This record gives sequence, C-alpha cells and structure tokens, in this order.
Amino acid sequence: MRKRGKNRGMESKDINRKSTKKIILIGNPNVGKSVVFNYLTGKYVVVSNYPGTTVEVSHGTTKWRGKNVTVLDTPGVNSLLPTSEDEIVTRNILLNEKDALIVQVADAKNLRRSLLISSQLAEMGLPFLLVLNMEDEARERGIKINYQELSSLIGAKAISTVATQKKNLEKITEELGDLREATLHISYPPALEEAVSQIADFLPAENISPRSIAIMLLSGDKSLKRWLHARLPESRVNEIEAIRRSCQAGFDQPISYLINQARLEKADEIVRRVTMINPIKRKRLSTRIGELSVHPFWGVVILIGAVYLLYQVIGVFGAGVAVDFMEETVFGEYINPFFLRWTERLAPVAWLRDLLVGQYGLLTMAMTYAFALILPIITFFFIAFGLMEDSGYLPRLAVMSNKIFRLIGLNGKAILPMILGLGCGVMATLTTRILESKRDRIIVTLLLALGVPCSAQMAIIFGMLSGFSPMLVVLWAGVVGLVLAVVGYLAARYLPGESSDFVLELPPIRLPRIGNILIKTLSRIEWYLKEAVPLFALSTFILFILDRAGIMVHIENGAAPFIKGVLGLPVETTQAFLIGFLRRDYGAAGLLALARAHALSAEQILVALVTMTLFVPCLANFLVIVKERGWKIGAAISGFILAVAFTVGGLLNLILKITGFKI
Amino acid sequence: MKFKWGKRKPHCHIRGPFCHREAETRDRAIDELLEFIWNLRENGVSNLADLQSEASDPEARNILSYMEQEGLFAREGDKVYLKEKGEEKARGIIRRHRLTERLLMEIFELSEEEAEKEACKLEHILSPEVTDSVCTFLGHPPVCPHGKPIPPGKCCTAPEKSVKPLVMPLSDLDPGGEGRIVFISSNFPARLDKLSALGVVPGSIIKLRQKKPSPIIQVGETTVAVDPEIVHDIYVKAV
Repeated sequence: MRKRGKNRGMESKDINRKSTKKIILIGNPNVGKSVVFNYLTGKYVVVSNYPGTTVEVSHGTTKWRGKNVTVLDTPGVNSLLPTSEDEIVTRNILLNEKDALIVQVADAKNLRRSLLISSQLAEMGLPFLLVLNMEDEARERGIKINYQELSSLIGAKAISTVATQKKNLEKITEELGDLREATLHISYPPALEEAVSQIADFLPAENISPRSIAIMLLSGDKSLKRWLHARLPESRVNEIEAIRRSCQAGFDQPISYLINQARLEKADEIVRRVTMINPIKRKRLSTRIGELSVHPFWGVVILIGAVYLLYQVIGVFGAGVAVDFMEETVFGEYINPFFLRWTERLAPVAWLRDLLVGQYGLLTMAMTYAFALILPIITFFFIAFGLMEDSGYLPRLAVMSNKIFRLIGLNGKAILPMILGLGCGVMATLTTRILESKRDRIIVTLLLALGVPCSAQMAIIFGMLSGFSPMLVVLWAGVVGLVLAVVGYLAARYLPGESSDFVLELPPIRLPRIGNILIKTLSRIEWYLKEAVPLFALSTFILFILDRAGIMVHIENGAAPFIKGVLGLPVETTQAFLIGFLRRDYGAAGLLALARAHALSAEQILVALVTMTLFVPCLANFLVIVKERGWKIGAAISGFILAVAFTVGGLLNLILKITGFKI
Repeated sequence: MKFKWGKRKPHCHIRGPFCHREAETRDRAIDELLEFIWNLRENGVSNLADLQSEASDPEARNILSYMEQEGLFAREGDKVYLKEKGEEKARGIIRRHRLTERLLMEIFELSEEEAEKEACKLEHILSPEVTDSVCTFLGHPPVCPHGKPIPPGKCCTAPEKSVKPLVMPLSDLDPGGEGRIVFISSNFPARLDKLSALGVVPGSIIKLRQKKPSPIIQVGETTVAVDPEIVHDIYVKAV
C-alpha cells in the first residue's frame, strides 16, 4: 500500500497542466520516495488522481537553479512492464512527460531489484539519477556498495542517501543538472532481439525509445493498446501482434519472463562487481519481531495482543473517555450552551432557532455528532492504523489471515482494505485497488459496504452496547461475521472471474517515526472532516425539512408496519434508518439516542444494530463505489445490501421471538 | 503442477504401455516382450496365450523361443513367469520407461501421447547412471503418472541422508532452508511476471523462511509472502 495519498481527496486536477520543467521520482514501493519528495517540495503537496484513473499522484514544487519546477511522486513499481494499475500510471508518466528530470529512488540493500528498473529506464533512453536510499539499513546488513564503479557500469550517476536523516539529499538537486543517458544495455536471446527490431521499425520516435516500447509490446503489454492505435494503422497493429505470436511460439516460457530473466542476470552481474557483503550473524531485534509476528503460534498471540490494544485505545479510551469529555464537557457545558444563548439572542425567528439548535439542529445534532462523538474515535483509529502501517505490521496481518480469506475465495491481501474499513469505508473502497483481479475487488467492496462498520459507526455501536451484557456484543459480532462469511463465500463462488495470487512483499519491521504518523493522521482527519461534516449537515437539514413539513410523520406511519412487524422495533427508529441512507454512523447515532432514552429492549437493540450495521453504505461510500466500479455494480451492491440487511434483521427478530431468547 | 504420487488418470493404460511398433532390432523386441510380461503380471494375468498372441508373427516367435533359451522367462502349463535374469532386465526397462514418463509429463509438460512415445524410445537406451540421476532429480518417485509402481533403483535405497533429490519443490525444504531456483513451473504468465519483478527467477538463491500460516520466501533482501501453490511451483537445487 502506498503511504501517501490514498487518504486525500479525489479532486482531479490535471497534472500535465503546467509546462514547467518536471522532476519525476520513480522507484520500488517502500524505498523512501515520499521522504525524498517531502524534502524536495516542503510542506505544500497536492494529491490528485492520474487522469482517467483513481491512482493518486502527489505533486509539489521545488526551486531548482532559481526556477520553480514541479516534482511528481509516482506510485511505487516493481517493473515498468506493468502488472498493476499503479505500474501502468508510472509507466505512462514516463511515456508522456517530455524532458523530465528523472530520479530513481532505490533501496540500497536491494540493489538487484533496483537495477531491474534502472535497466528499463536505460532501455527507454531516459537520462536518470540513481539514488540508493536507506544506505544505513544496507550498512547494518553488511552490504557495501562501490558507487563509483556502479556509476561507471550503468553509465548514470549513482549516489547514496539516508532520506529519513536527510543525509546527502542535497546532492540530488546538485546532480540533476548533469544527467546522462545510461549506457547499461541488456541483450536478449537472438530470436527476441530480431522480433524487437522488427517491431521497433514500425514505431514512431517518441519520448521513450522505440526499442523499449517494442519490448513491452513483445511482452504482451495490453495497456499500450490505446497508445498504439492512436499512432499506427490497424494493419500494423495486427502485424505487430503476429510477430509477437510467432516469437512466443518459439519459446516455452512467456516472453516477458525471459526478458525479466535477462535483465536480472545483468543486474546480478553488476551487483557482484560493485557490492561487498560481510554477512552479519547477529539477528537484529526487528528481524526477530518480524519473524514472531508471522509465527503460527506467536503470530496469533501478537495478533490478539494487537487487537486488545486497539480495543483499549480506540474502544475504551477513544470511544469512552475521549468521547465523554468531548460530548459532556466540551460540547455539553461550553459549546452547545454558548450557541443556545447566542442563537436565542440573534435568531428571533423560531424556525431558524430550530434549524440551528433544535432537535434536528445543525449545531446541536450535526456538529455534536461529527466532533464530539466521531472525531475522537476516528483520530485514535488513524493513529493506530498509521502505527501498524509504518511499523510494517499491516502486511504481516495478511500473512496471518491468508488461510481464512482463502476459505471465501479471496487472499490475505483483502485484510488490508478490511482493516482500513474499520476506519472509513470510503478510503477502504479506494484501497481495494491493491487486489489484482476485478472479481476480488468487487467482493471486498461488497463486504466492506455490507458489514464492516467504520469507526464512526463502531463508536456508536460501542456506546450502545456498553450498558448491556457482553452477550449482546458477542451476538452482534457473531451475526454480522456470519453474514459476511456467507455472503463472501457465495459471492466468491458465483461471481465470474479468477481469484488472484497472494504475492505480497513484506517490508522490514521498522520503528515508526512519530512525526510521520502525526502528519498522516492529521491529513486523514482533515480528509474525513471534509468528507463527513457536509454530509452530516445535509442529512440533518433533510431531517429538519421532513420534520417541519410534516413528512416525517407520514414516512414513519408508512414504514411502521414494516419496522414494527418485521423488525419488531419501535416506530421512532424509522428516522434512524432514514438518515442511515445518508450515513450509517449517523443512523446508528439515532439509535443510540433512543437506547439512551431506554426506548429499546436488549433484543431490540440487537436487531436494530445488526440491521444498521448491515445497512446500505453511506452516501459517500456509495458514490465512491460507483466511481470505482460503475453505476451498475454500485446499484446492484446497494440493492443487495438493503435486502440482506432487512432479511437478516427480520429473521433475527423472528428467531428471538420464537425462541423467547432473553439477552 | 504438483508431485502427487499415485494420481491416476482416467485414461490410464489397462495393460501397460505397448511399444512394439518401435521395436526394430532383436534387443528391442526382447525388451518389449519382457515389458509385456511384466505388465501382464501387474494386471494379475500371466497367460501364455496372451504372450503368444502378442508375438504372433514368425519373427517374434523366434525371438520368444530365443528368450526362453537364454533363460529370461519360463513357462509352466499355460502360465509364464520371469526368471531371475529376465526379471532384472524387465525391471530396468519398466523403471526407465516410467521414470521417463514422469520426467516428460511433469517436468517438461509434454502431452501424455508424446511422453509415451518418447518413453518408448528412451527406455532402451538410458544408461543406469542417467536413470539414477533422473530418479534422484525427481525425488525418487514411487509411481508413474498413471499410478503404477516404479521399481526402485540403487539410488532409491541409498541411505536417506546421503542422497537428497537434486531438484525439488521449494515446499519440500524445511523452514529456513535455502536453494538455487532451477525453474518455476507455472501456467500463469502473470504469476511469473510478478515473481520475476520481485527478483524471483531461476538462478536466484531463495530461502524458505516459513511454511505456516502462509509461506514466506526471501530472495536477497526481499521478503515475500505467497500462496502455498507458488512454493510448490518453484523448483530448487540445494546449495
């Protein structure tokens, strides 16, 4: 997962708008690109989607030779022969950006894989600077690199940095003026070379070399289709495909694989010549922790410990102490009375007073919910999530859960969006991009929208459950979990398409940098507030109108037989479900208010909570589903979820009634 | 592709492979007939009549009586049985044939038909050394792809410790074990692309960090969690 960006808004500004000189940062995931980027650009960063995709690219500006230049931080790639959406975006940036200054940021302890990318940049004929970052980690592992030798072997300048300590970073801008086209050249088997030159002859001279594009085409890169059709007549495109086919027929293995092998062979040769390794026997503590965290036994112990800690921090402290303080003290004693006083004085009209501080008041209801109930919880969630992300624990959770997810036809990677879904479903839905197959993305999107409560909702659920026996919590979690498992299993079974492989790189366990986590948390909170507060206000306003216009009564009356008969809930819960269409957490908050007024029995709370947890995704989540998956799937998912929520709620009510079960 | 001993294909030979059409020389013909007797025995029949109908033309009859003279097999009433000399010879042929089948079908992924054809040729010419190498390479498989037993050779009975298979799936390594990747057998090009982008290609030294709950592999300073199937597909040679 990318560290930066996915938490930001989705405004899509055109990155290619300005015609100033650009610096493009490129490299493997988790090599410190973002740190270099922050160093170059300072604080001001704009994150926007790459045109036509939801992949986010950060850009900022820096001073170079007295002029403002744009810096682009591209999504991490393992190869420029794209296998994921992120990689397509990065490759396209290289394809389209003319005369850019390219900086390849690389992991010094992983020179071999870095050279895989360098060799592709060299093939494209793009001058670049190779920045081997995390030199300290390499040194810790006894790896020493001869940078001079490396520079002369690849023909591009290679320097070493430790970005987190700002070591040598100033050299990047110094060296930028002197970029050279790399001399690194990879020769492929003769049959391949022949096909490459045949195809290259058809291609126009562009920003990157025809040879490199020919190699991508020969590797069967489908993402170039549009590019190709825009430049060549149909017959030529077919001819290229014919060359590719006949070339492939001569090999047992996929051409792309042979090409990568040849590149890595060359990389190995260079690595052998420029590195000295003094293996360090002593196991580092971080390695040991990393091993334990994925151990069949200790991994589970650590997992349980982590979940307990999360519960303590988010559930007990965040949802309890912090919310109480915000709600009762900050809002209850200061802010709300203050607004009450002032609106009475300044707003003489009764309806205006009601709009601001009434039962459905923008200030008393919307703002109190947003800032007092939800903000404290989501803050602690984002801090905890940031810690798990930066320490490298998050991908290890995928290792622990792969088996479980395979049971429902997914793989361990699915846990990453699921966990994020406990924070915010919108972010989580965007993060499903890390899953490779469309089918997997749809399943996880569905499960997220169906039954993964976001932290706002969770907060309110915890609040409702707190006064009752733990049995209620267990039943609630059990029913929701069961529905998720059954729906996941059935979806995996009946949705067409293949499940994707579980291949997930595990970054080393690192001590998280507090500053980094705080910055991330702040930007996520900012994003959340921008996202949620307007919707809160809007839904409160709609309720206010419905109430004022007397429509609420009609809706309540209309829905009453259903709410009462099928779900066995009091009529007043109707409005909670009504606002649930806008935000589930807000709907749950409505239930909470009723529960506090002792209007619901324990059994009713269970039915109401299960129904609300499974209820339709909030408006923002719905919109993002539509954006990512299209109208059809968005509508299908919502309709399906609505049906499931009420069916399960109805069944649960029926079972409780028949058995006479008392919680 | 996985090594699963005893996997029986539905179209498995009932009577075993017949290769007589390729037999040109007398030696070959002898081999074929010995193989035939072995297969008959495996199917629980050792009828002289079956053998005679297999060797129906005059030339084949000559060979049959020559074999009897040489003490390769004997008859007892309407039954035939292999004598010690013939038994040993037949055993070698069957072993070569079935090992070759395994090699061609599972490692080189030839079709059953092609593998069969090649095995019929190679069963006559493989030297004992090469046969044992193939056997070791394959990890001393007990049965052929059709589920029939492969007679064990010297290499199979050697003490477990001294002879390790030369090439084996990474999944057979103990956690913490290391090997050099010989090949990755996968029918999914996307999987190969993804692995190679992470530096997992033949020639690389790979370490199996753990098997459970999910396999974790390491190449250089790159650590990757993968599906169990992927570790089965990566064949390594111990280093």
